[in-house]
Amino acid sequence: MMLDETLVSDVLTLARAGGADFAELFMEDTVNTTLRLHQGELKDAGGGNLFGAGLRLLYGTRVVYAYTNDVTASGLRDLASAVASARGGAGEVERGGAGGLDFRKVKVTPHYRARQHPLTAAKREKLALMRRASGAAQVGDVKTVDVNYLDRVQRVLIANSEGLWAEDERVQSRLSVSAIAQDGTLRQSGFYGPGASQGLEFFETVTPESIGTEAARIANAMLRADYAPAGKLPVVIGNEFGGVIFHEACGHILETTAVEKNASVFADKFGQRIAQDCVSAVDDGTLPGSWGMVNVDDEGMPAQRTVLIEKGILKSFLVDRVGEMKTGYARTGSGRRQNYTFAPASRMRSTFIDNGDQTPDDLIRSVSHGIYARKMGGGSVSPGTGDYNFAVNEAYMIRNGEIAEPLRGASLVGNGAQDLLNIVGVAGDLSLGQGMCGSISGSLPTDVGQPHILVSEITVGGRA
Amino acid sequence: MTATVTEQLSIDQARSYLLKRAKARGVQLEVYALRNTSTNIRAFAGEVSEFKLQARQGVGLRALRDSAWGYSFTENLAQNALDRALDMAVENAELVAPESGAGLVAWAEPPALDLYGEGLSGVKVEQKVQVALDLERTAREADPRVTSVPYGAYMDSDSETLVGNTEGLSRGFKSLQAFHFVAPLVSENGQNKMQRDWQFTREFTELDPTRTALKAVEKAVALLGARPAPSGQFPAVFSGGCLADLLDLFSPMFSGKMVEEGKSPLAGRLGEAVASELVTLVDDATLPRGMNSRAFDVEGCPSVPVTLIEAGRLTAFLHNAQTAARAGTQSTGHAARMGYQGVVGVGPSNLLMLAGKTPDAEVRAGVRGVLVTGVSGGHAGANPVTGDFSLQAEGFWLEDGGVAHPLEVFTVAGNILEVLAGIEAVSDTVEWTPDAVGAPAVRVAHLAIGGN
Repeated sequence: MMLDETLVSDVLTLARAGGADFAELFMEDTVNTTLRLHQGELKDAGGGNLFGAGLRLLYGTRVVYAYTNDVTASGLRDLASAVASARGGAGEVERGGAGGLDFRKVKVTPHYRARQHPLTAAKREKLALMRRASGAAQVGDVKTVDVNYLDRVQRVLIANSEGLWAEDERVQSRLSVSAIAQDGTLRQSGFYGPGASQGLEFFETVTPESIGTEAARIANAMLRADYAPAGKLPVVIGNEFGGVIFHEACGHILETTAVEKNASVFADKFGQRIAQDCVSAVDDGTLPGSWGMVNVDDEGMPAQRTVLIEKGILKSFLVDRVGEMKTGYARTGSGRRQNYTFAPASRMRSTFIDNGDQTPDDLIRSVSHGIYARKMGGGSVSPGTGDYNFAVNEAYMIRNGEIAEPLRGASLVGNGAQDLLNIVGVAGDLSLGQGMCGSISGSLPTDVGQPHILVSEITVGGRA
Repeated sequence: MTATVTEQLSIDQARSYLLKRAKARGVQLEVYALRNTSTNIRAFAGEVSEFKLQARQGVGLRALRDSAWGYSFTENLAQNALDRALDMAVENAELVAPESGAGLVAWAEPPALDLYGEGLSGVKVEQKVQVALDLERTAREADPRVTSVPYGAYMDSDSETLVGNTEGLSRGFKSLQAFHFVAPLVSENGQNKMQRDWQFTREFTELDPTRTALKAVEKAVALLGARPAPSGQFPAVFSGGCLADLLDLFSPMFSGKMVEEGKSPLAGRLGEAVASELVTLVDDATLPRGMNSRAFDVEGCPSVPVTLIEAGRLTAFLHNAQTAARAGTQSTGHAARMGYQGVVGVGPSNLLMLAGKTPDAEVRAGVRGVLVTGVSGGHAGANPVTGDFSLQAEGFWLEDGGVAHPLEVFTVAGNILEVLAGIEAVSDTVEWTPDAVGAPAVRVAHLAIGGN
């Protein structure tokens, strides 16, 4: 137990003294480790203790949020008074009965339990993993290798004035390799960084060697690449991290934080066709040990699997507490926040386009002149307009149905709602990739994913 | 984890306690401490939709053992938590490889900068709320084509930074910021456009939400009626804000740390011409109105202006104590870190390309090509290791130097060093971004555009 029940009850009552309809306390005690290996030497070792509490009040759908690092009894009471007076004078809370809150403990069932917990593993073990990855990346023309290791154990308590009481521990581990290949003045970088809501046992299935090898493969493959062409072309997008395109271009505008403001082009499309038959998409917080796994969300609701698009028809949005109040769509366990300094908002978990019935070869063979975007970099989207952009880290020309020469410097731009309709082929090789998603409630671990897909045309931003 | 949390120290007490414990253990230690209180108010549809009060503090530790640095941080300022953080920093130092040039310095006195002004103590919450409401309402009512104002906020921040080390250094400064921004969404004939405008100040009374709102709407409406961009190479004008965004993305090229790690295309080119003679680039942490102004860096090294490119010639890189020692030079006062978390690296403060002599309108005179007013996607589409970029862009088509029509989303691609070398004209007006980078508008002969 992170805090005394009586204290939490007092703080929630005090916070509502200004007339708030709802109060919620979120406390966290997070320990992380960060290590960076450069050219085989440990250059940076850090990490520490994130420690604080946030109080959220709702007046109707209006949010007042405050946080502090002073989690002593007096610190929390001061915070509650400050947050109550910030929107004071709206009336008195109905004080039905004299007692405090009778908390209803939510039984949090972990979808996965870490076997080699990061807090019990020695730093030398973590370092050994990094050295294996670094060694594997030193191949071909690779001259520079950086390996980053991260683990994070976040313990949280979520309690609210409806009597909810939920505690959870979130464990995450990630290893990423950045390799730079160089030949004279030519220089290209390759990146690969898988992670999981698991302990160090994750690196038994995804070995450090495989991570290093993949980063080096991309850097070497792209080293002597030509510049990509510019213009509208058909594009085959690779599986795994290729799913970032759906995440940015469609996922963000299915979050109620965008929908409730009418800043989403999908706001009035519920139940309607927004994609071809071949497209089904899911946001799932329940995949055991996945990077985007959520035992309970940061509002204390158990996570769920949410079908967003079924055979082209829009079936659900991603909904948090305030989103439900504003839009009327039922909560989906999608209320997430980076840490106690953020109020929760509707956010993605593991978001992917589901398997179709074609093969990657079928898709590539159907293109006479286009681009194969095998590995995507990051991207972003303007939620108001749906205009998005992505960098492509590994790309090739497709000529007459065959993969041809490598291309560098390609980016893809377009409009999410329009391009979703242009997905005309979906293969059956679904795989997930890991990233950090930045938005209104901070930076969160999320999985993106898809099988290989064919988009009939996208604007490619090259310079040839 | 326990049900009772013990009493917390202040950041000043925590700094003293840690330095005392470190000395007793024979550990060389640097303590970087931050305390920040801030208010953040969002308005939507005529009401305050979000109100946030923030109070955050913590200490970052850097221990030096046998020329190796070990880091840790903690937001729990109870004595036992501080002891744990010190243990962790020492443990990390014992694991890390030794570094040449590693050392703690009791730097000379920093300049006296007033970054605090009158403070915000006399400003009532109601006044702050009014700024957020005015922004949203003015933007919403400015034009019938405004369909909503999804993003708009008032923010202020009152912060204190302390640095101390076991060599006897102990200093701090306070700074104050008030800021607002608004992003209206406009719609016409099925086209949606969103643009943002903002204002930063150290005096609350200088904030002008009406002007900000009207300017944001004007910028968004100007993009309606967009037509597809052509693909190919065209003459181009970058607005000052757009060039500043590009310089921001590529500022790691000037980092002494990136240079020594072989990750800067400018490595080994000190003294060479790397840009057009029209380009002079400085970094100045002492600007009275700069958003990233500070009296000293995260190591406590005093701030001074640094010229990076002078009339096209590369004259300096940015350094912290260690990268400077290894490059055989002095720290430029550009040690940087992500608050008390993260490690000490190198980063710019207020990065500024100086204005030229050409009046703004003449920069685009005679151009048949593109006016690029914004780029996005830089975290993935710009590569500071090579200088290459391929980015989403917005802007206008120019005919004979005049705006013919706005353009639908297009791409720009190229290499920043080629852009800087190809600059033919530099405007006499500097535009700043919210990331504290300033630049004038410039014209280049060729830029690769991807459209239809």
